[in-house]
Amino acid sequence: MIPDILSFKNTKCECGHQNPVGTVLCEACGKPISKEDQESDKLLEMRYDGMARRSQRSTPNMIDRIWNFFSSVKIAVYMIVLTLLGSMFGTIFPQESTFLNIDAATYYPETYGTAGLIYYKLGLSHTYESWWFVLLLVMIGASLVICSLDRVLPLYKALSKRKIRKHMQFLTRQKVVYQTRLDEDEEVWINNIVPALKKRGYRVHTDGSALLAEKYRFSRWGPYILHIGLIIFLLAVLARGLPGLNMDQHLAFPEGEIKPIPNTSFYLKNEKFTVEYYTEDDLPEEFKGKGKMLPKLFQTQATLYECTADCKDPSKEPQLVEVDSHPIEVNDPLNYKGLKAYQFDFDTNPILRSVTPSLIEKKTGKDIGQFKLDIRNPERTYQVGEYTLNLVEKYMDFGMNDLGEPVSISPNPNAPSFLFLIKGPNLPAEGVQYFYFPKQIDKQRFQQDIINEKLAGAYNLFELDVDGMSNVDFSMSTTYLNIRVDKVMPFVWLGSAIGMLGLVMGFYWQHRRIWIRIDEGDLTLAAHTNKNWFGIRKEITVVLQKVNMEVDEKSLDNGGNQV
Amino acid sequence: MKLLDFSSMFFTIAFLVYCVAFILYGVAVMGRVWRNRDPEQHMKKWGRLSFLVSTLGLVAHLIYFFTRWAGAGHIPVSNMFEFMSTLSMMIIIAFTVIFIIYRKTLLGLFAVPIAIIIMAYAAVFPQEAQPLIPSLQSWWLQVHVTMAALGESFFAIGFAAGFMYLLRTVDFNSKEKSDRRQQRGVEFTLLSIVVVIGFIASVYAFRVGGYESVFTQEQESKVSRVEYKLPPIVAPYQSKVESFQSFLGMKEPLFEAPSWMVGINAGRKLNTIIWSVLAGLILYALIRLILRKPLGRAIHPLLKGLDADDLDEITYRSIAIGFPIFTLGALIFAMMWAQIAWGRFWGWDPKEVWALITWLFYSVYLHLRLSRGWQGKKSAWLAVLGFMIVMFTLVGVNLVIAGLHSYAGTN
Repeated sequence: MIPDILSFKNTKCECGHQNPVGTVLCEACGKPISKEDQESDKLLEMRYDGMARRSQRSTPNMIDRIWNFFSSVKIAVYMIVLTLLGSMFGTIFPQESTFLNIDAATYYPETYGTAGLIYYKLGLSHTYESWWFVLLLVMIGASLVICSLDRVLPLYKALSKRKIRKHMQFLTRQKVVYQTRLDEDEEVWINNIVPALKKRGYRVHTDGSALLAEKYRFSRWGPYILHIGLIIFLLAVLARGLPGLNMDQHLAFPEGEIKPIPNTSFYLKNEKFTVEYYTEDDLPEEFKGKGKMLPKLFQTQATLYECTADCKDPSKEPQLVEVDSHPIEVNDPLNYKGLKAYQFDFDTNPILRSVTPSLIEKKTGKDIGQFKLDIRNPERTYQVGEYTLNLVEKYMDFGMNDLGEPVSISPNPNAPSFLFLIKGPNLPAEGVQYFYFPKQIDKQRFQQDIINEKLAGAYNLFELDVDGMSNVDFSMSTTYLNIRVDKVMPFVWLGSAIGMLGLVMGFYWQHRRIWIRIDEGDLTLAAHTNKNWFGIRKEITVVLQKVNMEVDEKSLDNGGNQV
Repeated sequence: MKLLDFSSMFFTIAFLVYCVAFILYGVAVMGRVWRNRDPEQHMKKWGRLSFLVSTLGLVAHLIYFFTRWAGAGHIPVSNMFEFMSTLSMMIIIAFTVIFIIYRKTLLGLFAVPIAIIIMAYAAVFPQEAQPLIPSLQSWWLQVHVTMAALGESFFAIGFAAGFMYLLRTVDFNSKEKSDRRQQRGVEFTLLSIVVVIGFIASVYAFRVGGYESVFTQEQESKVSRVEYKLPPIVAPYQSKVESFQSFLGMKEPLFEAPSWMVGINAGRKLNTIIWSVLAGLILYALIRLILRKPLGRAIHPLLKGLDADDLDEITYRSIAIGFPIFTLGALIFAMMWAQIAWGRFWGWDPKEVWALITWLFYSVYLHLRLSRGWQGKKSAWLAVLGFMIVMFTLVGVNLVIAGLHSYAGTN
C-alpha cells in the first residue's frame, strides 16, 4: 500500500470521480486521465474500457511480478507459439506411443538413421510426454487463469459503472463518430430515436439530452468463458495422470475363453469373433479382380462377468456373474459402468486350446489310455492306466536361450511344449523324462524323438500321440480388445462444452454501445463495439434513417484501425 | 443412368460453371475502367451476374454431393477425391455467406479460383466410390468432417481477403527493405499457387498421354512394386526398372532417391514433388515473360480503388466466423469420435496434432489482433500463413507424414 501512496498520482477526474491508479479513462465520464492523453487527438484505447488492472501496479512486489508475467498477452502468445512449434517437431517421426512394443533406443536409429538417433536423443520421440511440453501446457493453464482474472473483474466494473452523459473527448475520440447540427427540439429527437434503437434490440437509457444504448453485453464474457472451459479441460487432462483415474490395457481374447481382466474384478468372454469382407459386387470397378480385400465388419460378441467370490484364491474356481453382453464393433464399444472394451485388432490364425493324446507303448503299439491336456492350464498329474504322468515344466513358446537351455520365448502359445515324468510298470522308480510337443510341426522342428531318446536312453518305451483331428481343440480366432477406464472424461467434455459456449458467445455476437449527447443543438453520436465495425456502422445508418437522417456508412468511420 | 454417374456429371458441370463465374468476376472487376461506362454501375451489374453464376455452380455442386451420398450410401468425404471436392464446395458456401454480409464483388475473383484449384486437385485422385471400412462406419464421419471442412473454408476466405489486402496495400514500387521483403512474400505466395497448378497440369498431361513406368524394390526379401504416372526423374532407392516408357529421349531415371527416404512410395512422391516444382517454375516463367513484371505488381493495379480497411475487416471476420466452427468440427467432434472409435479422445496422431497446430495458430492470430493491435498487413500475413498450415494439415500430412488418418490413397 505504502508504495502506492508514495507514487500517488492525481487520478481524480474533473467530474468528481476518484479513479484507481492505472486507470486510463475515467470510470464515470470516460475522460482520459493522463495529461498527454488529454492533449492528444488520437483514437482512445478502449481495451477493458480503460480500467486499471492488477498487473499495472506501479511498484510490483514478487507476487505482482509473477502475476504480471502470466497476465501478459505477449507472454501467452509466446507460450502458444512454443507449444505450436514443439507439436510440429513431434510429428516429424512417429511417436514411441504409436507402437505397442518397441525398443525406442534401437528402433529410431535403425529405421531413420542418424536423423532418427538425434530425434531420439533429443527426446522428441516422446515430445508430448516430455517435461518441457507438459510444463508449457501448465504455464498456458496458469496464464489462462491469471489473464482472465486480471481483466474480467475490471471489465465487469467498467461495464456496470456507467454515466450516460460522457465527456466530449471520450465521444469524439471513438472509432465511430457522427456530429451534426440539430434543428428540432433535443428531447423530442431523443424520444424519437429511442424506439428505433429498441427495435434493433438495444437497451436504451436516457438522461435528459444524453443517451446510452447497449446490446449483447454478454458477448464480452465469451473469451473468459472459453478460458474457463480450457482450464477445466487442461485440469482434467492433467488429472488423468493420477493413479486410479485411468486404465489402459490391450488384451488378447481367444474365441470361446473366459479371461480375467487384470487389476479388476471383471472377466470377459469372447463368445465369437466375426470378420467380414466386402464382396466383389460391393467394390468399385477398378478394385475388381485385383484380389483386394476391403474389410466390412470386425465384431466381437463379448460377455462381461464380475467375480463375486473366490477371486484371489488360486485353489478355487472364481464365482462369476454375468453383468453385460455386447457385440463390440470398431465404433461401438462395450460400456459397463465406465469400463470400456474397444475392438482393437484380431488374429484369425487358429490357436491350439487342448489336445487329447494317447499314451502308446512303442514296441507293441498298444494304446494304454487317453487324457485331455489343456495347453494353457495343464494339470500337475495325469493318471493313464497304470502309469502316472507328472508335469515337470511347460513352455508356451519353446526355444533355446544362449546357454542352450530350453526356455519359453514368449507367453503366447505359439510352440507349446511339456516335460513329463512318466512312472509305472517296467520303468525305473524315479521315472523317465519325456518331452511332448502337441503340434506336429514343432515335433519335427525341435526333433522331439531325438530329445526323448537322449533323456530316457534304454527306457524310451512310450510316446504320446494324437489320433485324428477329433482329439484336437482349436480356438479359431483371437480378438484383441483395448480395455479402458477413464474417469475424467466427463470433465473433458464439460470443459469442451463450456469452451464452445464461450466461443459462440464471443464470436457470433458483438457488444455494441452507442452514446449520444446534445449540447445546445450540437449532436454528437459515438459508438463502440468489440468486433465487427462494419456491422455497427451499418446499424447506425439504418437507425438514423428512421429519424430522417441520411448518413453515408463509411463517413461514420473516424479512422484508425481497431478491431 | 446410374446415380453415381449422374453425380459425376454434376461435378463436371459445377467445375465448368465456376470457371465461367471466375471469368465474369474478372469482367466485373477489370471492366470498371473500360470506356463508355460508369464504373459503379458496371460493377453492380456484373457483380450481381457473377454472384448468380457462382451460386448456380454451388447448386450443381450440392447436387453432386447429395446424389453421390445417395448413390454410395455414405457421405462423400471418405477419400481424398471426395474430401477435396467437399472442401471446395464448403469454400463456395463460406464465400457466399461472406458475400451476403459484405457484398464485395472482388472477393469472388479470389475465392472462386481457390475452389476451382481445389476441385481440380480433387480430380487427380481416384474417383470411384468405395464402401466404408469399419473405422469410418459412424455417424460422426458426417459431422466431424463437414464441420472441420466448413471451418477451414472460412479460413480459406480469410486467406483470399488477406492476400487481396496485401496485393492492394504492399508498395510495389518501393525499394525499401521491409517493402522488398513483402513484395517477395507476395510473389512467393503466388508462386506456391502456380506450383499447385503446375502439379495438377502435369498430372493431367501425362494421364491423357497414358504415361506409365514401373519399378520394383526388394527390401528384407519382400518385393514391392510401384507405378509412376509421371516420367521418373528420380527412382526409388535401390530399385529395379520393370518397364520404362521413354520421355523426350529420357531412357532411365536421372538419379535415385536418398536412402533415408524409406519405402518405395517415397521415391514416387519425391518425383511428383520435383515435377510439380518444375512445371510450376516453367509456368511461372511463361507468365512472367508475358507480363514482363512480377505477378504481384501486375495484379496490384486491379485492386486500385478498393477499400483496404474493408478487406482487413473481411479477413478478420471470416476467421472469426470460422474459428468456433473449426474448434467444434476439427477438435471437439474429432475427440468425441476418437473416444468412441479408438478408446482415447486424443492420441497425438499427426493429423490430430496438425489440427491442434492450426487451432493454436489461429488463436495466436486472434490474440495478436484483439489484444495487441495487430491489424492490416501483419494480420493479413498471418491469415496467409494460417491457410498454408491448413493446407499442410489436409494434404501435406497425408503426403509426407501419414498416420491413422491415411485412409485415402494419396498420389
